[in-house]
Amino acid sequence: MNEFVLLACTILVLIGTAAAMLERDPFNKLISLAVMISGIFPFIIDRGLLDVAIATALIAPLSTIFILMVCRRMPA
Amino acid sequence: MLDESFRILIAAVICWLNFMTVDLIFKLPESGGVCGATAIAQEVEKGGGNLNGGFMMGNIVSSPDASAGTLLASCGVFCAGLSGGLFAAVLVYIGNRICYDPGYAGTTGCITATLIVYGATQVGFAASDFIAGMVIAILTIQGISYVHASRLIARLWKVRCRLLRGCR
Amino acid sequence: MIAIYVCAGIAVYAALRVIFQRNTMRKLPFLNVVSFAVTGIIALLLPHPITIAAAVAYFVGSTLESNAIASTWAGGIKKDE
Repeated sequence: MNEFVLLACTILVLIGTAAAMLERDPFNKLISLAVMISGIFPFIIDRGLLDVAIATALIAPLSTIFILMVCRRMPA
Repeated sequence: MLDESFRILIAAVICWLNFMTVDLIFKLPESGGVCGATAIAQEVEKGGGNLNGGFMMGNIVSSPDASAGTLLASCGVFCAGLSGGLFAAVLVYIGNRICYDPGYAGTTGCITATLIVYGATQVGFAASDFIAGMVIAILTIQGISYVHASRLIARLWKVRCRLLRGCR
Repeated sequence: MIAIYVCAGIAVYAALRVIFQRNTMRKLPFLNVVSFAVTGIIALLLPHPITIAAAVAYFVGSTLESNAIASTWAGGIKKDE
């Protein structure tokens, strides 16, 4: 992985994390977390861990869906 | 043969035409396929865009459609040749059903894109040009200005309704 | 091979547009562009047949997540009773 792609993915992770900390609305926080997870993926692939990547790709959105289900049950 | 950036731009135009044609044939701007798409369409209309264009943008976000099919077909051909593209088409079909989408826009777009990309690799293109080209194409629709993009889609939808019957 | 630079640049641009967009529903198309770009980066980093499955799994997961956010924001599926 050359430096430019490494830098781009790092920027994605940092932007996502910073936005998740600073946003107020819960939906905006979840969207920022999605940006952060998108930045992590190329690092997993670059190491050759394709099975870890497939597992993470299926688990991370499922956890977002469970968070949304929990948020809807709680009294607003 | 040609310079690489020029090849990427030609590939972007080919991908744009492929996914727009398949999506318009499958009537994506007509209504929201899943309920998330309707929400996005209403917000696009409130912001000054067109409702039909908003429906298509919402459908692109909420379910793998021909744009996703084209991108994954290019990835498939890049990784494993023609059989890679067809394997990607099978996976896109499964992904469509996982997202509760009963349509075939994604699978059809993937199969046509596999044939186009494989044919192009025989005449001097590289499959990676089509991957970058598809990302540029989706940037022009979803990533620059939703107002102008939705109005462009609405104009193309009117042309499609005049050429082929069957839309409200 | 400049294809991977194009995908990485578009990913950063779309991530910045996601953050600076105020309206929640209008963030989702930009997030979709980020998913497309990262799927491209995944395929271009490691050309192997199983990478196709990883790229499709990532893309379908990201689409499912955006759809869940959009439909929960809109109030969920209207139950026809």
